Amino acid sequence: MRAILVLEDGKSFNANSDLSAECFGEVILNTAVVGYQEMITDPTNAGKILVLTYPLIGNYGVAPKFNESNKIWVSGLVVKEKSRIYSNFQAKSSLSDFLKEKNALAIYNLDTRTLAVHLREKGPLFGIISTKEFDSRKLADKISQIKRQPAQTFLPEISVSKLKIIGKGKKLAVLDLGVTSGLLRQLEALGFSLNILPYNSNAKQILSIKPKGLIISSGPENDIGLARVAQNIKPLIGKLPMLGVVTGCQVLAVALGAGLSRLKLGHRGANYPLTRPGSFKGEITIQNHGYVIDHDALRKVKRLKVTACNLNDHTLEEIESKKLKLIGVQYNPVSAGFDQVNPILIKFNKLLGR
Amino acid sequence: MPRRKDIKKVLMIGSGPIVIGQACEFDYSGSQACKALREEGYRTILVNSNPATIMTDPGMADVTYIEPLTVEVLTKIIAKERPDAILPTLGGQTGLNLAFFLMKQGVLKKYGVESIGSSVEAISCAEDRELFKKAMQEIGVDTPKSGIATTVKEGMKIGLDIGFPLILRPAYCLGGSGGAIAYNKEELETFLSKGLEISPVHQILVEQSVLGWKEIEFEVMRDCADNVIMITSMENVDPMGVHTGDSIVVAPAQTLTPEEYTNFVNLCKRIIRKIGISGGGANIQFGQNPDNGKIVIIEVNPRLSRSSALASKATGVPIARIATKLAIGLTLPEVMNQVTSKTTSFFEPTVDYCVFKICRFTFEKFPYAERVLNTSMKAVGEAMSIGRNFKEALQKGIRSIEIKRFGFGADGRDKITDEMLENPDSILLKQIKDKVSTPNDERLFYIRYALKAGLSIDEIYALSRIDRWFIDNMKQLVELEDKIKRYKNKKTEDEPSIPHELLAQAKADGFSDIQLAFLLNAKEEKVRQLRKKNNTKSVYKLVDTCAGEFNAKQPYFYSTQETKDEARPSKNKKVIILGGGPNRIGQGIEFDYCCCHAAYALKEEGIDSIMINCNPETVSTDYDTSDRLYFEPLTFEDIMNIIELEKPIGVIVQFGGQTPINLAVALREAGVNILGTSSESIDIAEDRKRFKHMIDKLGLLQPNSGTVFTFEEAQKVANNIGYPVLVRPSYVLGGRAMEIVYDAELLERFIKEAAEVSGEHPILIDKFLEDAIEVDVDLIGDGETFVIGGILEHIEQAGVHSGDAAMSLPTYTLSPDILKKIREATYRLAKELNVVGLMNVQYAVKDAKVYILEVNPRASRTVPLVSKVIGIPLAKLATKVMLGKKLKDLGFTEEIIPQYVAVKESVFPFNRFPGVDVMLGPEMKSTGEVMGIDMDFSSAYIKSQIAAGQKIPKKGNVFISVHDRDKRDVISIAKKLKDLGFNIFASSGTASVLEKNNIPAKVLPKITEGRPNVLDLMKDGKIQMVINTPSGRIPRQDEVKIRSQVILYNIPYTTTIFGAQATVSGIEMFMKKDLSVKSLQEYHKIKGKKVK
Repeated sequence: MRAILVLEDGKSFNANSDLSAECFGEVILNTAVVGYQEMITDPTNAGKILVLTYPLIGNYGVAPKFNESNKIWVSGLVVKEKSRIYSNFQAKSSLSDFLKEKNALAIYNLDTRTLAVHLREKGPLFGIISTKEFDSRKLADKISQIKRQPAQTFLPEISVSKLKIIGKGKKLAVLDLGVTSGLLRQLEALGFSLNILPYNSNAKQILSIKPKGLIISSGPENDIGLARVAQNIKPLIGKLPMLGVVTGCQVLAVALGAGLSRLKLGHRGANYPLTRPGSFKGEITIQNHGYVIDHDALRKVKRLKVTACNLNDHTLEEIESKKLKLIGVQYNPVSAGFDQVNPILIKFNKLLGR
Repeated sequence: MPRRKDIKKVLMIGSGPIVIGQACEFDYSGSQACKALREEGYRTILVNSNPATIMTDPGMADVTYIEPLTVEVLTKIIAKERPDAILPTLGGQTGLNLAFFLMKQGVLKKYGVESIGSSVEAISCAEDRELFKKAMQEIGVDTPKSGIATTVKEGMKIGLDIGFPLILRPAYCLGGSGGAIAYNKEELETFLSKGLEISPVHQILVEQSVLGWKEIEFEVMRDCADNVIMITSMENVDPMGVHTGDSIVVAPAQTLTPEEYTNFVNLCKRIIRKIGISGGGANIQFGQNPDNGKIVIIEVNPRLSRSSALASKATGVPIARIATKLAIGLTLPEVMNQVTSKTTSFFEPTVDYCVFKICRFTFEKFPYAERVLNTSMKAVGEAMSIGRNFKEALQKGIRSIEIKRFGFGADGRDKITDEMLENPDSILLKQIKDKVSTPNDERLFYIRYALKAGLSIDEIYALSRIDRWFIDNMKQLVELEDKIKRYKNKKTEDEPSIPHELLAQAKADGFSDIQLAFLLNAKEEKVRQLRKKNNTKSVYKLVDTCAGEFNAKQPYFYSTQETKDEARPSKNKKVIILGGGPNRIGQGIEFDYCCCHAAYALKEEGIDSIMINCNPETVSTDYDTSDRLYFEPLTFEDIMNIIELEKPIGVIVQFGGQTPINLAVALREAGVNILGTSSESIDIAEDRKRFKHMIDKLGLLQPNSGTVFTFEEAQKVANNIGYPVLVRPSYVLGGRAMEIVYDAELLERFIKEAAEVSGEHPILIDKFLEDAIEVDVDLIGDGETFVIGGILEHIEQAGVHSGDAAMSLPTYTLSPDILKKIREATYRLAKELNVVGLMNVQYAVKDAKVYILEVNPRASRTVPLVSKVIGIPLAKLATKVMLGKKLKDLGFTEEIIPQYVAVKESVFPFNRFPGVDVMLGPEMKSTGEVMGIDMDFSSAYIKSQIAAGQKIPKKGNVFISVHDRDKRDVISIAKKLKDLGFNIFASSGTASVLEKNNIPAKVLPKITEGRPNVLDLMKDGKIQMVINTPSGRIPRQDEVKIRSQVILYNIPYTTTIFGAQATVSGIEMFMKKDLSVKSLQEYHKIKGKKVK
C-alpha cells in the first residue's frame, strides 16, 4: 500500500508499505551494505527511523542468531528495494516476514539516495511515516506537535528490570543501557560471568555484586534518562575499572565532566577510520553514533588520554586512563570474524587483572 | 610515513599487447602509476611493447621504451637507465613474471634494483602453488584438498579421503584433456584408470570439486604501517567453474550475511599479511559452499589485476594510484581521496548502487571453437553498468556489451520466441536445460527462456548453481515483461499506451526503449515521446565512494530512475566524446587512446570534456581523464538522454571506433551537432554504393565490384568480375563475416552469413586482388589543409585483414611513383569528403596500379602507433581541428617520414581456442598489437616478432611446407636459412623443389602416412620454426593440425611467404648483432624527412 515519509522541514517521499501504520522518529542514515537485521534489533536505534543507503535489502534473509536483542527497536525502516526472496543457507525467514511477525513498519520503493543527500545537507531531522495521512503539511505539523511533548526515555523498556546473570567465571558487571547480544557473546567468550544490571543501578548496587569491572553498554544516545546514569556511576571512577561502549562511553565522559555535541551527520556505517596519535597505524571500525565527546573538557582530566580519533573529522573515538582504569570507545567493538573477540575487550580484560 | 627518499628513479613494466586475460586495465593502472610517481617527484622509466597505450605516450613517463618485454631487453634498459627500483605490480602477469625472472637471473641484484609494491618473496608466495598452499595452511586458510596418484589404488584412497565430487586431472595433458568429475566410487575408479592411461607420466591429480560453489572476490590494500582496507567485495553470478574473467560479476556481494562478510575480511587480512604485501593491493578469490558456508581460497593476485580495475571503477577509488603511493612508502591515511577530497584513502568505500560486469566474447570469429566457458578465459572485453537495483544494472550491462541486444531479451532479437516457449516440446526443453547447465556466453538468455518455459527458480538453480537471488531478479524481469505485453498495440504505427506507473517501473528495472517498443508493438521514437510526455526520464546519480555521506568533488555519473538529478550540468562550453565500449576483436585500446587524447585536447582548449563509456578497463573511464564521466551504455537512447541534459556544443564520434560511427546518422537526425567530418561524408564512406559513385567521380581506381542484397544478385556480379571475390557487409567491425570466395558454392554460404551481419545495409562483392600489397594511410584534415600522418605498408600480401597484418612505417618496398599515386589519391579523397579530423584509407597495389579498398572517416587502429612514431599527437590535433582550429596554426602541415623504422605486429588469441586454424584472412582475429622500432627494417621486424611472443631461433630445424604458387619464392628463403646454419625439414612437394635447387631438405611423411611426422618432431621440441602457407581455400586437415600444434608448443610460425621473408632476414640481422634499445624520446630527436 501507499506510504509517505515526511521530514520536519516539509520534504516528503512517496513509498510503499506492507503494513498500515504510522510512526515517528529521528531519521538516521546507515551506509553499511550488510547488517540490516543487527541494526533494526540494536536498542541503540530505539525510536529512530532508519534509512539504509544500500538499495538492496533482505537478500540474505534473517536468522535468530543475528538478533542483537529480541525486539525490533527502530520505529521505522526505510529501504530502496526489499528483496522478494532470500538466499543464504543460514536464513530462517525473510526480512518481510520478520518485520510482519514483530509488527514493525518498513517502507520501500523510495529514493533513498536523495533522502540521504538531503539529510547530509540539512543535519538531523525528525520524520514521520504514514500510510493513512498523505498531506505532508499536516504530517509536518504533527512532527512539531510530537516534538513539543516532553521527551520520553527508552531505557526502562530496553534495560533488564532486575539482575540477570549469564556465564561462569570472572565476575563482570554490565550496566544495560541497551546491550547487544554481539557484545555479550564476546564477553562470555573471554570467560566472564556477566552480571547484567538495570540501567538505573547506582554505585552502591553495582559494587555490591563485587565485580572485577563494569561495562557501560551502548544504548540510545541523548536519552533523558542518561543524565542520572552518569550521576550513578560518577562515584565509581577510580574505584572500579570501567569500559564505556558508545553511549556508555558518552555517559562516562559526562561523569568525567565533559560535554557532548551533536554531529551534523552521525557516524553510522562500517567504514570509519580511526587514527592513533603518533602512529600511522589505524583501524577501520563500525560506528553508530550521532554525538561526540568534546575534547577540551576531557583534557582537564588528569592521566586520561585520547587514544584514537576519527581520521575524517578528527572527532574523539577512544579514551583511556591507565590510572583510573577507564576505557571508552565511540565505535562498536565488534568481533573481527570467526568469533574473535575485539582487541579493546581483550585490553579491558587485561586491565582488570586476575 | 613520508615517501622514500632513497629512491630516485623507478622502472615500470607494462603488460605488452592486449591478449585475452590482459587488456586495457593495465594501461589504466600503468598510466595512473606514472602520474602518481611523477606527482611525488620520481623519475620514471617505462617499458611496454604496446604502442596503442596511453602509458607509452611520451610525456606520461620521463623515459619511454617501446621494446619487447623480455629479460634480455629489460636487462639492457636497466643497464642503461640504472633505476633504483622496479614497480612490477602494474603490468599484469607479464610485468610480474618479468620482474620475477630478472630477480632469478640476478639482474636486479647486479644493478642494485629493488622490487617495490610487491617483494619478490611475496610474488613467489602467491605464484608458487606449493609455497602458497603451505602458507595458507600455516594461517589456517583452507585450499581445495588434493593429492597426486600414480595408481588406481592410490587415487581411490586420496579420493575417498577428500570426499565426492572430485575433479580428476591427468598430468601433462594440455588443454585440460582427459579431465573428469567423479560423483561416486565407481566413476572414480573408471576415470582413474582412464586418466592414468592418458597421462604421459601416468600421474593424475585428484582434487576436491568446488564446482558450483559461490565465487567471492575481495580487493584488498595494505600499506607499510599494516593498515589494511577492503575496497569492495565482488560476487560472481556464474559460480565456480567459470574463469572470473568470463563470469558475470556483481559488486558488492549480494548474498553474504554480515557474519560471512566479516569472516571473509578476517581471512583477507590474514592472507595479505602472510603473503607479505606491504605497499600495494591484491585480489583474493574464494570459493564458498552455498550449502554450509565453508570457505576455500582459490587464488591471490599480488598485483593490480582486471578485478582491481573493476573494483576501482565500481567504487570510484583509484586503486592503481593509491597502490603506487603505498609502494613508495606512503601510508593510506596520507593519500587523499580525490573523489571526495574530504576523506583519505584509509576509508573503505561504500556504495549505494549495484554494479554489474558482463563480458564480451567473440566466438563468432572462431566458428570451430567450442562455445562453452570454463576455467580458461575466453572473453576479449567487458562492460560495467551501474543501477540502483540488480535488474537495472543487468539490463544496462547487456546493452553495454554491444551484441545487438538491448536488455534481458524481449527486444525482438530472441532466438526462441514466446510462442515457442508457451508449449515447449521436449527437444526445445532439453536444449534450454543444456544451455542453462553448461556455462556459455548465451546462458543469461537461456535462463530467461527457461523461466518463460515454466522452469522454477529451484530447477534453474539445480541446473546452473547460479544463486537463487539472481535468478529471482531475472524472474521479476520476465514477469514485468508479461505485464507490459498486455498493452501491446494492434498496429505498429499506433501510439503506445501503457499505464504511467508500469512505464516508470519498467524504466526503473532497466527496460530500454527498444524493448518497450518491441513489447508494445510500437516505434522506438514513439516510446521515447511517450516517456517524455509522462516525465519518465533518467536522472543521474554519483559514484562518490561514500554512499552520499560526503559532498564529492570529482565523482562520476550513472543513470537511473529516481526523483532527483544530481548531475548539475555546468554552464561551460562542453563537448561529448563517445567512447568505444567493451574491447572486442577489431575495436580495442587504440580507440580508447584516441578518446583520451580528445579529452586532453579539450582541456587545453578550455572546453569541458564529457566522456561516455562503459568499459571499466580503460583510461577513458578514469575519474580524472575527462571533466565529467558518464558510465553508460553506448546506445542511442542512453546517449541522447545525456545530450539532452548536458546540451554540449557538439559530439565527437570519430574516436571510439565503429560504435559511435554507427550512431552518427541517428544522432544527426535527432539534431545533434556531430563535430568534424559531416555525417553525410561518413555515410558516403560507409555506404558502398555512394562510395563507388565518389571513386568514379574522382577518377580513382577500385577493384571491380557490385552491391547486392541476395545470392542471385551476388552470383551475377561474381560472374561478371570473375573469381576470386571478396564478400563484405557494410557498417561492420574488424572484417566481420568478410571472406575471399573462389566459387559459386561457397559464395552462397557466405552471402547468407554476410546478410545476417549486414542487416538492412547492402553487401559488397569485390574483385579480390591476389598477391597485391596493401597499404594503410592515416590522414588529418581541417577542411582546408590535409596532411598525411603516415603511410604504412603491409608485410603480408592482400587478403589479410589490416588489423591482423604486420605493417611497416615508413613503407619499405614501394617505389616513389607508387607513393606519389597514393598521396594524390588520399588528398583527393580527403578534399572530396571534406575531412575535418582523421581519415584512414586502405589501398591495394598491384601491377603498378593503386586500388582503393576502403575509406574510414574516423580514427583508425594505427593512429596511436603513427602518432608515437612521428612524434605528433594526431588525435589531439584532430580534436582541435574539429573545434575549428587550423592545422597551419597548430604547426602541422607536412607529412613526416621518419628516418627509423617501426613495425607493427599483431597478436592472436589462438591458444585460447584449441584446434582452431591460425591462418590469417580477411576477417580480423587479433586481439592486440606490438611495435618493434629500430634504425633498419630487419631489426624492427625481428623486434616486433619477439615482442609478439615468438621465440626467434638462432639455430635448429625449420619445417617448410608451402602452397604450389609459393614454391618459387620459398627457395631463396630456404637457401638463406641453410646458409645461416639451420636444417630444413619439408613436406615431399616442397622438398623436391628445394632439392632441385640444391638445398638439401629432409622429407617428413604426411601425418596420416607415417611416423615420426612433423607433429611428433614438434612434440619432441625438434622443430624450432614452421613456415606453412595454406594450400587453398579449404585447408587440408594436415595443415590445420600442424598450425594448431605450433600454438600448443609455442613454436614460431609464419603462414605467409612475405612474413617468412621478413622473418628470415630478421633472423639474419639478429644473429649478426644484438638487439639494441633506444627510448622514444631519443628517436624523436632524429629529425624526419618532410614531404609537402
